[in-house]
Amino acid sequence: MRYNRQIILPEVGEKGQQKLGQAKVLIIGAGGLGAAILPYLAAAGIGEIGIIDDDSIEISNLQRQVIYRNDAVGKSKALEAKEMALSLNPSIQINAITDTLNAKNAIALFEYYDIMVDATDNLHTKYLINDACVLTNKPFVYGSIYKFQGQISVFNFQNGPTYRCLFPDESSNSKNCVDAGVMGISVGIIGMFQANEVLKMVLGIGNVLSGELLIYNMLNNDQQKFELVKINTTPLSQLDFENKYNVVATSVLEISAKEALEQIENPDVLFLDVRNEEELPKISLLNSIQIPLGDLEDNLGQLYSNKTLLVYCQSGMRSKKAVEILKKHSFLKVQSIAGGALKLQEIIVNNAISI
Amino acid sequence: MLSVKYFGAVAEKTKVQGENIPFSNLSLQELVDELEQKYDLGSLSYSIAVNQKMVQDTNSYMLISNDVVALLPPFAGG
Repeated sequence: MRYNRQIILPEVGEKGQQKLGQAKVLIIGAGGLGAAILPYLAAAGIGEIGIIDDDSIEISNLQRQVIYRNDAVGKSKALEAKEMALSLNPSIQINAITDTLNAKNAIALFEYYDIMVDATDNLHTKYLINDACVLTNKPFVYGSIYKFQGQISVFNFQNGPTYRCLFPDESSNSKNCVDAGVMGISVGIIGMFQANEVLKMVLGIGNVLSGELLIYNMLNNDQQKFELVKINTTPLSQLDFENKYNVVATSVLEISAKEALEQIENPDVLFLDVRNEEELPKISLLNSIQIPLGDLEDNLGQLYSNKTLLVYCQSGMRSKKAVEILKKHSFLKVQSIAGGALKLQEIIVNNAISI
Repeated sequence: MLSVKYFGAVAEKTKVQGENIPFSNLSLQELVDELEQKYDLGSLSYSIAVNQKMVQDTNSYMLISNDVVALLPPFAGG
């Protein structure tokens, strides 16, 4: 029988297996962390798993998102992930959601599932997950990576501390968001820690990592736990929540990297690189300027002109933030280049565009 | 002696994982201000722990000898 090896553990047993079968878990993001978490939860027999991601698979994902096959490049991550998980264990239900998590769908989704697993790659969505979990009174399993270090915690578990208790400073966070590079094994290790927390919560065994932040260092195997303090703040109302997260979602304007590159000789267009100076690849465009995102608001003077600003960063996250900042300061003709420098570089190399 | 540990993007900036600092009578905020200046950490956001416990009110927190301070930035990758 499929689950024998875990059922013979006294901590699991037939009863525990039933609990797993009745659990509903939502994995937010089908990237590196999601690709580690999903197959293990599916194999263990979590009865219903939602996987939400609107991205499609790119060749550069495959070194860490190991559930995707080479011939699936270009296909939907959520749909491919579902197919993989069902081929692993057809006795469970997998719901693929090919959308981003946003103010419109978060509350309904969170009300349906028991546990949310954060497998995202940006701070904005982590705050959204946190606030939606507080509103719906659901726990969320946090996992995140910076190069060879990972953070794991369980927030909002039985009224425990939340992500905002650990990182209250939302406004300046974007300055940390450097696209830093990562090994597949690192996201695998941290994803395993997250999947383990999910199983412990469902089975009611061990100590859930609530009220604690675990930091794991892959280079020296140093593992440290930090105790969190619950800060009592007034939670957002549902209306506040929708307003807060809707604004950001609709105010960002994007342009594809291909379309952007058609503008490289247009004198009325200025390319703005908001990465830090040391970030590679260097993209040397004719009409371009570099101002790191963190310095942007102090250097707006350099940008006042009638030109259209096409903003890029490494992969298209920080540039969205930059567009928000510029819009706030009344720059009207601003667009973020989807996929950032990596996408630009790819097109330049593939099409031998001279710049 | 005080010991300070750095994580994530903060460690990237300080170029060391941690260091020992001679003890003097100062608040946690004063220590952090010194470190911010020394390593130009101004653009980074991080939370602070002392002896593995997060501290919110850094101004009123007086350090004692052998305290271990940790600067913990949020990670975003996944």
